[in-house]
Amino acid sequence: MIGLILSLFVGVGLLAILVLLARRGNPRVEGSAQQLVEARQTLDMVQLGLLPRDLVERIFATQDLEYVTRVAPAEVQRAFLRERKRIAIAWVERLRGSFVKLMRLHRAQARVYPQLSLRKEIGLGINFVALLATCGALQVAFRLRGPYAAPRMLETATAAAARVCMISEESLAFLKTEPLRPLEDRARGSEAV
Amino acid sequence: MQTAADDLRRRTLSQMPGALERLIYLASTRDYNNGLYYHDGLASRFSEIVACQALADCHREVFHELFECSLEDLVRQLDFYVESTRTAPGDLIAAWRNLEPYRVAVPAATDPLASDFLCSNIKIALAVWESRLDARLPRKPDAWLPR
Repeated sequence: MIGLILSLFVGVGLLAILVLLARRGNPRVEGSAQQLVEARQTLDMVQLGLLPRDLVERIFATQDLEYVTRVAPAEVQRAFLRERKRIAIAWVERLRGSFVKLMRLHRAQARVYPQLSLRKEIGLGINFVALLATCGALQVAFRLRGPYAAPRMLETATAAAARVCMISEESLAFLKTEPLRPLEDRARGSEAV
Repeated sequence: MQTAADDLRRRTLSQMPGALERLIYLASTRDYNNGLYYHDGLASRFSEIVACQALADCHREVFHELFECSLEDLVRQLDFYVESTRTAPGDLIAAWRNLEPYRVAVPAATDPLASDFLCSNIKIALAVWESRLDARLPRKPDAWLPR
């Protein structure tokens, strides 16, 4: 009887472990296709969603500040600065978050893909660290002194971000396949050969 | 597709001088249950799918136009909008403050930061516009401006 109860306990225990393992889902494989696609998507999001010149220029446009200072009462001016500060912080937080993600994905790929050049990866690493530090400093500046506190630092951050994007793009270039040509073109090409 | 969008711009949108008015109009042609745009006139000239795509394209275009507006331009847009709707300014301010209808007027798949930025700008433009109205109109005990 005691043996039966013990066997039951062991059985239930094993079943529980199996359920737990099953619920953990598929473990992420380093350098997997999913990670590469994520890296590509993050890069696109940064380039198209966070770094376009018009977006950055609009968020930090001093002409809006000048206008509000000129025509609006003090409470509206305060509301304006509060709103712009919120947006500026959201922007820099997203930028930082995207680069942290991109850095992790790059680190994972660098261990797996021999196609990635070591020199490029080291350069990328240094740029990543510099960019994250600048973003951190910008966050502090925005929180303490508002969205117009550090225009030079902002320029440095956007330039560094663009540089990292460019190197990152080169690192991921091997992912790009040649666009499909129409069948006729291909046929013509093979004839020429 | 381009022809349908041009047709929409020429026949309908050109009647609306302000981009804000165009944004609200285009958003109102979208069914919030399925995200599709409907326009009977355009659909009868082209097809429902083409009309939907043209409306979506114009919606994105107008959103971008408003996004690029300075705060000063946005205040001007509000002026145009109030004039075109013939709503009492006080009612519009109260409704827009409470309901924030411009939040649902954003095209689908817009970057959240861009959408947040425009909504924040409209909110500030509304406050500026209200303060200018306050300054322009002598206040009476039963004035319509809500507090």
